[in-house]
Amino acid sequence: MEGNMILLLPMLCPIAAGIVVLAGKVFRKNRKYLTGLSVMVLVLEFALALWAVMSGGGLTMLRLTDQLSLGLHADGVSRLFAMLTASVWLLVGIYSVAYMSHEEEEHRFFGYYLIAVGVLMGLNFSANLITLYVFYELMTLTSLPLVLHERSKEAVRAGLKYLFYSVAGAFLALFGIFFLAGVSESLTFTAGGVLNDGALAGKEGVFLISAFCMILGFGAKAGMFPLHGWLPTAHPVAPACASAVLSGLITKAGVLAIIRVVYYVIGADRLRGTWVQNAWILLTLLTVFMGSMLAYKEPVMKKRLAYSTVSQVSYVLFGLSMLNQTAFVGALSHVVFHSVIKNVLFLTAGAVIVTTGWTRVEQMRGLGQVMPKTLACYTAAALALIGIPPASGFVSKWYLASGALSSGTGVWAWAGPAVLLVSALLTAGYLLPLTIQGFFPGHDFKGEEIQKRKLTGKEPSIWMLAPIAALAAAALLFGCFPGSLISMLQSIAASVL
Amino acid sequence: MSEIILALPVFLPILSGVFMLFHQSGKEEWSRKRELFIEGLVVANSLLVAAAIAGGAGGERRLVLFRLYSVLTIMFKLDRMGSVFAGLVAFLWPLATLYAFEYMRHEERKNTFFACYTMTYGITMGIALAGNLVTLYLFYEMLTLVTLPLVLFPLTTEAVRAGRAYLYYSIGGAAFAFIGLVFVLGFSSVGTTEFIPGGMLDLGRAMENKNVLLLVYVLAFFGFGVKAALFPCYRWLPKAAVAPTPVTALLHAVAVVKSGAFAILRLTYFSFGTGFLGGTWAQWVVMSAALVTIAFGSTMAVKEVHWKRRLAYSTVSNLSYILFGAALMTPFGLTAALSHLVAHAFMKICAFFCAGAVMHQSGKTYIYQLDGMGKKMPVTFGCLLVSSLSLMGIPLFAGFIGKWNLARAAFDSGSRLGLAGVAVILYSALMTGIYMMTVIVRAYFPSLGTQGETADGAGDDRKRESGKEEVTDPSWKMTAPLVIFAAAILAIGLHPAPLMSILTMIGGEAG
Amino acid sequence: MSFVQNFPFFSIILAMFSGIVSSVLPGKKARNLSLLMIAVTTALSAGTLFFCLRTGESYTYMMGHFPAPWGNEIRAGILEGATAVFFGVVMFLAVLGGLDHTAEDVEEKKLNLFYIMIDLMLSSLLALVYTNDLFTAYVFVEINTIAGCGLIMIRQKGRSMSAAIRYMIMSQLGSGLFLIGLSILYDITGHLLMSPAKESVAALAAAGDYRIPMLVIMAVIGVGLAIKSGLYPFHYWIPDTYGYATPTASAVLSGLVSKGYIFLLIKIFYRVLGYDNLVSSQMVNVLYVFGITGMVMGSLHAIHETDTRRMTAYSSVAQIGYIYMGIGLGTQPGMVAAVFHIFTHSATKALLFISAVGLYEASGDKKDYISLRGAGYRNPLAGIGFTVGSLSMVGFPMLSGFISKLLFATSALESPHKMLPTLIVLAVSTTLNAVYFLRLVITLYSRRRPEDAPISEVKVRSSWHLRLAILCFIAVNLVLGMSSQPIVQAITDGLAMFG
Repeated sequence: MEGNMILLLPMLCPIAAGIVVLAGKVFRKNRKYLTGLSVMVLVLEFALALWAVMSGGGLTMLRLTDQLSLGLHADGVSRLFAMLTASVWLLVGIYSVAYMSHEEEEHRFFGYYLIAVGVLMGLNFSANLITLYVFYELMTLTSLPLVLHERSKEAVRAGLKYLFYSVAGAFLALFGIFFLAGVSESLTFTAGGVLNDGALAGKEGVFLISAFCMILGFGAKAGMFPLHGWLPTAHPVAPACASAVLSGLITKAGVLAIIRVVYYVIGADRLRGTWVQNAWILLTLLTVFMGSMLAYKEPVMKKRLAYSTVSQVSYVLFGLSMLNQTAFVGALSHVVFHSVIKNVLFLTAGAVIVTTGWTRVEQMRGLGQVMPKTLACYTAAALALIGIPPASGFVSKWYLASGALSSGTGVWAWAGPAVLLVSALLTAGYLLPLTIQGFFPGHDFKGEEIQKRKLTGKEPSIWMLAPIAALAAAALLFGCFPGSLISMLQSIAASVL
Repeated sequence: MSEIILALPVFLPILSGVFMLFHQSGKEEWSRKRELFIEGLVVANSLLVAAAIAGGAGGERRLVLFRLYSVLTIMFKLDRMGSVFAGLVAFLWPLATLYAFEYMRHEERKNTFFACYTMTYGITMGIALAGNLVTLYLFYEMLTLVTLPLVLFPLTTEAVRAGRAYLYYSIGGAAFAFIGLVFVLGFSSVGTTEFIPGGMLDLGRAMENKNVLLLVYVLAFFGFGVKAALFPCYRWLPKAAVAPTPVTALLHAVAVVKSGAFAILRLTYFSFGTGFLGGTWAQWVVMSAALVTIAFGSTMAVKEVHWKRRLAYSTVSNLSYILFGAALMTPFGLTAALSHLVAHAFMKICAFFCAGAVMHQSGKTYIYQLDGMGKKMPVTFGCLLVSSLSLMGIPLFAGFIGKWNLARAAFDSGSRLGLAGVAVILYSALMTGIYMMTVIVRAYFPSLGTQGETADGAGDDRKRESGKEEVTDPSWKMTAPLVIFAAAILAIGLHPAPLMSILTMIGGEAG
Repeated sequence: MSFVQNFPFFSIILAMFSGIVSSVLPGKKARNLSLLMIAVTTALSAGTLFFCLRTGESYTYMMGHFPAPWGNEIRAGILEGATAVFFGVVMFLAVLGGLDHTAEDVEEKKLNLFYIMIDLMLSSLLALVYTNDLFTAYVFVEINTIAGCGLIMIRQKGRSMSAAIRYMIMSQLGSGLFLIGLSILYDITGHLLMSPAKESVAALAAAGDYRIPMLVIMAVIGVGLAIKSGLYPFHYWIPDTYGYATPTASAVLSGLVSKGYIFLLIKIFYRVLGYDNLVSSQMVNVLYVFGITGMVMGSLHAIHETDTRRMTAYSSVAQIGYIYMGIGLGTQPGMVAAVFHIFTHSATKALLFISAVGLYEASGDKKDYISLRGAGYRNPLAGIGFTVGSLSMVGFPMLSGFISKLLFATSALESPHKMLPTLIVLAVSTTLNAVYFLRLVITLYSRRRPEDAPISEVKVRSSWHLRLAILCFIAVNLVLGMSSQPIVQAITDGLAMFG
């Protein structure tokens, strides 16, 4: 074990706390201890992540064999993902304290919630492909209990589906790892790739297949077609706060893995112009379009949001598949924006469920009378996701589109932006009806149910509203002041391309 | 005569077993004294093995026991590969015996059971220490015979059927392996069948009869492969899951089936030699067979709802991982095969023991009965979780090391079939995920509303119905081996370097 | 001339005379006389064997002082001596083991008849082993047939009569063919003594005369003795005769009688027809094909049997196939393997029949699978005996069957065209053996089910002679399996003496 030990802290601290929460009987009985400890740990986690990001450096944890070692490091991408994870996890954690009071077996939720963030931190700071793979698998396993939390038959089935898709994806990726381990000295992440030309000679066919397998495999977590099937099933059955982080952050783990593989192990140049790139682009565009279409047709709110995630994460992947700087910046910024936005949306859906018990969009007519502030936050986030300037979504989509246009990928250069445009329209189509019907239910709306249940003006508690508001504000502010973020992303992009 | 230490670990358990068969302890068939005697014996034997391995570190030791017929001698030799297998078995046996005491507590005819169980130890040692193909064959046949009573032990119709299948398959397989023995003897460059790293064929003469010899190799591969449950000769293994768990766990996940795999490694790398076999159609045939078995076994495991049979199918598939490594016929292939041999031994015995613990405590044998058991038997299911993750091939667990080496070896071998092999292994890993994780999820997260389960204090209704006491973890005799195995899985997974350096050396000298 | 050289003649005559004397003795005394006689003849044969081993050569012995080319001759060498000793031992143990059962099966008044038949049987077997002239051979073949018939039908129960008649008809057919062969041979060469006959056959072969008649002789003698020894497809008499005779008779018939004919056949091949002629005439290939077919078909038949004795009988068909396969390989090692298998099979099959007696006793004298369930627990020694015999048949290392199998396999390596078929058939046949023998072994050690019919009379402890016989047979098997080297060496030397 050599190097900067601080990198371990954001990983170990919440895992240890999570185990304590799961094991300690006191947390099962006393809710205050449980929530108090959880929030404290999350705040601490944010501080630790910040400390780790600031101190930087690398750390070798364990040498399995000469070629296999586990290590952590903090480079630009790690920093971005780590900070994003820590802050969103904290906000959602605060929200959960209020939200989960309606659920059973809270200690289990919080226990795994804490463990999952630790594992995710490990994933973010991974220094090589093996470490990444380890945390990737662990993340699947530790996030599984979040999906299973309700323990209904449906939830168990969804959980298993989630597990099998993820594992299948991981094993597809493993195929690539097996191959890449043979054509490189070590699998340490280095901007621009680490492959050895000599060793690669004569194995180009297998190499491309391996690369494609890895993209496809890690893409499973990011909900990319054809391994997207689990996402619309698994996300909605979890408690809303869990769906929020599952959609907002855990899907991004797949994105991170793909970034690491393509830009830090293989090297973008090796894929440019190959069939792998073309197939990849095709798949992302298919997913973008298909996800939006399905979301548009979906009446259940959380499911609709899940489909939206399928589509939106593939925006990111589309940007990555363009293999140029501008699109890369767009992709990374969309990672951030989508995380924030999708969390707002899911948390809103959760707030609606908690307050009113409504799950279908058509039930939510007149929601503005019940919780105007929450709905306002929702609307802000929805506009951001659609990409209305100056909200954040516009910035990322702008970079994505302009990157695509200048990518020189032939037909994709214009087909891509066209699909994004259509999808943006569909996004408006599936997100805005809630706003419109919520605030303007129309003349024929009597609001009988709202009056009967005395729901008027019944905003969720401040502990729920505050995180939603904070995230919604972030969604808007990032759009207005994207400068520092974009410049940081540009420096990352310049290093890898 | 320090060489005699090679014969002791073989004959001590065999003779003690025979002694036990003929010496019933007085009126009561079983006593605590006898348990102590057996455990002491087994531990002592393991120490002997350890001493033999440690003492033999300098070089190979040989011991010619007697001459069976002309050039056929019964001979022991302790080389590195033998040491690995012998050490593995010696590590597992005392723990498994401990477990068996508890598991068999309520059974009758314990004396017969433990006599055979102990004899099996010696015979497995004989296979590990065999210095030539004849000795290996001798102990291989004896192994079939001495384990038969263990399979038959329940004496139910099902057990008798299983025993028959086991016997037919094993003897039939040995009959084909015998052909290999005869040919190796006939074409040996040294006139005997003594194992030589890299093979002992007289290449000049062998090349003249190349195709015949290759055919013979394939026959012998399938012959020994019967014990390693190679497709299409796998049927006996799931059937044999009817035997008591200590038997299924130790014998049908480790000793017996690994003996088959071990024999194949001996046949491929130490008798025929990879120089002769590599790149021929024979290699192609055996490798395809191994791959078919991998895919088939794991698919069947998913379909199976009887827990032990599911694990048995899993064994079918995992054994062929080892055979796949053998069929790669590269030095690295041998290393990889051995590493999976070691890793699989720990994880499968652990999984079987968990199944056995559940059967022993609650009598549940089907997977759909396991709802919510994870809470009631935390230690057992904790170990099962470790073993499952390892079987899936999650890094940091032992199983990953085996898979990693196999896949790397397959890529390095450069053959197309090797590439397909990696794909098949990953497919099988996915299936493993499905068939192991469904158990885990069921045990820890039973879906609400099934069979009257409630979120807390699950199974109250059933408890009242059956009038049984609450199911708990078994006593230390059962949990201690489980925990040790789980720890071993983690230890190998986290620090495989020492093991790998030995295995790499073996690969280097024999490939 | 050394006195020892008289021993072969003495042993034959002794056996015959004790048979004659027995006809006026009561049953028990006849039995004792018979046992004594077998022991003495075995000792005499052993003397002959040691004499030959010491001098290292064979000798011929004139009976009745008519010098060659007329008269009757006896010839003794290592192989003859060894075979005679071995036959004596097996005969002794078989009679010993079957004593009780024989007493039950045979009427009191006819008991002495049974032992007369045994005496005559031994006498004729010894004669077949030692004879050096074809006429004596023929005479004793007939005596053997009669004795065999007597042994079968003396039980006078169930199907043993029809079995005896079937045996008689088939045997006579075989003898007839053998006689025809002899006649043609005598017609061509003018000799009945083996040595001069061989010289003229060699001269004829060198000159190229009488090719077709020579071929006919080979075929007719071969088929005749094949029928008598029960080679597939001439095996139809075997299951009934072995299955319905008393255990001693079964053991003797399957263990010795068929082997006596095979031994005679080998002797005629070597000492009269010339082994090289046989190889060049493709006759060996015919035997080879019949042999390997028998190996498989016999076992397949055995699998279908539910009566354990008929099953064991069918197994003999397969084992006879092994022997003919060895002969048919057409090489010296193949022949050695065949002769060794004669020993192996005699010892093993007799062990199986005799230990089965103990199992039947423990199962109310029922012989089907279901009744035998659990018999291994009721009579442990018989169970072990049967298990050892079965394992030997399957070719378990350390037992005699393994060495036979090994010898067959290694000898097969020397004939390039027969190499693979031999080995594969060996493997298949081993597997099939395992299926029916070990199925029975498992049945012996499985628990009786509630629905099984209760056993009427269970005899838990067998008599001492049965147990002694079983133990001795096990020992013989182990000796053959673990110290086979000198025996194989003796066979090789003995065959070399056949010249």
